[in-house]
Amino acid sequence: MSGVLAQRIKSPEGHARRFLVVCMVIGFAGLALIGIAAALLTARTSEHTQWVNHSYQVEVSIGRLQALIEQAETTRRGYVLTGHTSYADNARATAARIGPAIEAVAALTADNSRQTARIAGLREQLAAIAAEQDKTIALTRAGRRDEAVASFAAETGFRRMRAVRGLLAAMLADERSLLAARDAAQQSGLQTFWIVLVASGVLIVAVAAVSLAAITRYTRDLTTARDRLQLLNTDLEGAVAERTADLSRANEEIQRFAYIVSHDLRSPLVNVMGFTSELDAARQSLADLVDAAEQTSPEIVTDEARLAAREDLPEAIGFIRTSTQKMDRLINAILKLSREGRRVMTPEKLPLDEIAAGVRDSLSHLASDRGAEIIVDSPLPELISDRLAIEQILSNLVENAVKYLSPDRPGRIVISGQRTRDRVMVEVSDNGRGIAAADHSRIFDLFRRSGTQDQPGEGIGLAHVRALAYRLGGTIDVTSTFGEGSIFRLSLPFSLPDAGTTA
Amino acid sequence: MNEHRSVSIIMIEDDEGHARLIEKNIRRAGILNDIKHFTDGTSALDYLFKHADGPALNGPALVLLDLNLPDMSGTDILTKIKAEDSPVKRTPVVVLTTTDDKIEIQRCYDLGCNVYITKPVNYESFAQAIRQLGLFLSVIQVPDAIVD
Repeated sequence: MSGVLAQRIKSPEGHARRFLVVCMVIGFAGLALIGIAAALLTARTSEHTQWVNHSYQVEVSIGRLQALIEQAETTRRGYVLTGHTSYADNARATAARIGPAIEAVAALTADNSRQTARIAGLREQLAAIAAEQDKTIALTRAGRRDEAVASFAAETGFRRMRAVRGLLAAMLADERSLLAARDAAQQSGLQTFWIVLVASGVLIVAVAAVSLAAITRYTRDLTTARDRLQLLNTDLEGAVAERTADLSRANEEIQRFAYIVSHDLRSPLVNVMGFTSELDAARQSLADLVDAAEQTSPEIVTDEARLAAREDLPEAIGFIRTSTQKMDRLINAILKLSREGRRVMTPEKLPLDEIAAGVRDSLSHLASDRGAEIIVDSPLPELISDRLAIEQILSNLVENAVKYLSPDRPGRIVISGQRTRDRVMVEVSDNGRGIAAADHSRIFDLFRRSGTQDQPGEGIGLAHVRALAYRLGGTIDVTSTFGEGSIFRLSLPFSLPDAGTTA
Repeated sequence: MNEHRSVSIIMIEDDEGHARLIEKNIRRAGILNDIKHFTDGTSALDYLFKHADGPALNGPALVLLDLNLPDMSGTDILTKIKAEDSPVKRTPVVVLTTTDDKIEIQRCYDLGCNVYITKPVNYESFAQAIRQLGLFLSVIQVPDAIVD
């Protein structure tokens, strides 16, 4: 029943949990995707930046080369025109820097076969130009400026310069187109990234929304369950109160029942005992008759008649008597208990010292007869309870202690007590014959007794004590070692509530 | 008891055995008065108030009353006997019952019962109590019924 219920409660919970886990996994997968895409894109962008830088470097180095070439040509022409040697020096210095500039461009564009081919062409043209320039400069220096000018006019320098410019322009254009292509690739990568980003975003939002809905529903279910539980709890308190009322009603019922039963049992018992006595009286007359007959005419007295009158009838009547007497005592015990149970408890302030002393005094005669002493371990605490009930409890416990002494030593019975917070503990300890462990709980039951049955009693005292202790809101228990003594511990509330203690 | 004022004893007792034991022991005490026995309240009341030989119409009487009866409570009978307008209100009532509840005893005396005796379960005590009751009955003065 409860298993099925548990499963029914557990199953939707499991579903919700699994669903949430799936949502989380999807959400995290989306996040991971975004992360990977971003990482890829960043790597690609930095690569692109590097290439763009490279392109600019190439452009710059090409520009520098072109400037150097133009400068070298201009200074040569200046020298040819003016003959100033500073032009010649300048031209030579500039020409010397062209070589490294070409090398720089070649190094930068080494990965590009087209550019490498162009550089080869460039080198060729530049070498030719340089040779031409050296020649004209040499002519000028030798004072043969006309020759130099003539060669200048005849030379193919102009054409070559144009070819150089064309090559450089082509190289620049190539770099630019490369840059454009890379830009385009970059753009498309970015686009892909955005698509991934948007898709993942949508996914995460969707997952979040679904999870939120699931959690909300789950929480609502939990809240409902908790509310229901709280309601049940409140109901439970009511149920407990109701049950307590039922119990006390049932208890009253039992008390009434015990009272009525013991009463109604008494009536027939009066008859049994009464007519047993009548029977005994009749038997006596018969026995007298048998005696008389035996003397006057013994022949009419049979063995059966003699046996019946002298043995069988007295024996039967004796058994009926002892049984009915025992039954009478038991019925009286039940009656007494039920009557005690119906008594109204009236709490009042009780000095335990005084009560214990009273109990000691009332039992001192019995105690001294048996060679025992009763000691009240003053001071005992005070408490608010029913006087008669406390007196009866103490008196029963002390009387038991006096009754069940150990034959090996003089009896010593101590009544002690102390208060702990809102309870009062009272102990009655003795050095008597003790109670076997097996009987410790049994002795509190009605009509149950422990040990050698050498003392009069019906097994009522401790049952009565326990019933009274319960009625006072307390408990009683015993610790005892067989042959060494017993300690009865009574724990009572410090204050017995008034009102409604009638049972 | 005086011969010419023959007081009849009305015993209301549902238990035949008890009735027999009570009668025996009363006789043993030397009481020879007429004993009328009723096992239920209805017929007892009928006799008390209406019967030609009953105390209401004819002569003094004494009532032995058990409280536990099958058809009504003994206290109901007591109430009726001791009522203000009852013709037998002066008739002595001896409650003889097993109940020894203090409240019940008080109630019976409040209702006007004259003697309350708890039946001892022990037969010797029982027999002795009844015999003493018999001795008591032999000296008791019983008033006449109010006949108008």
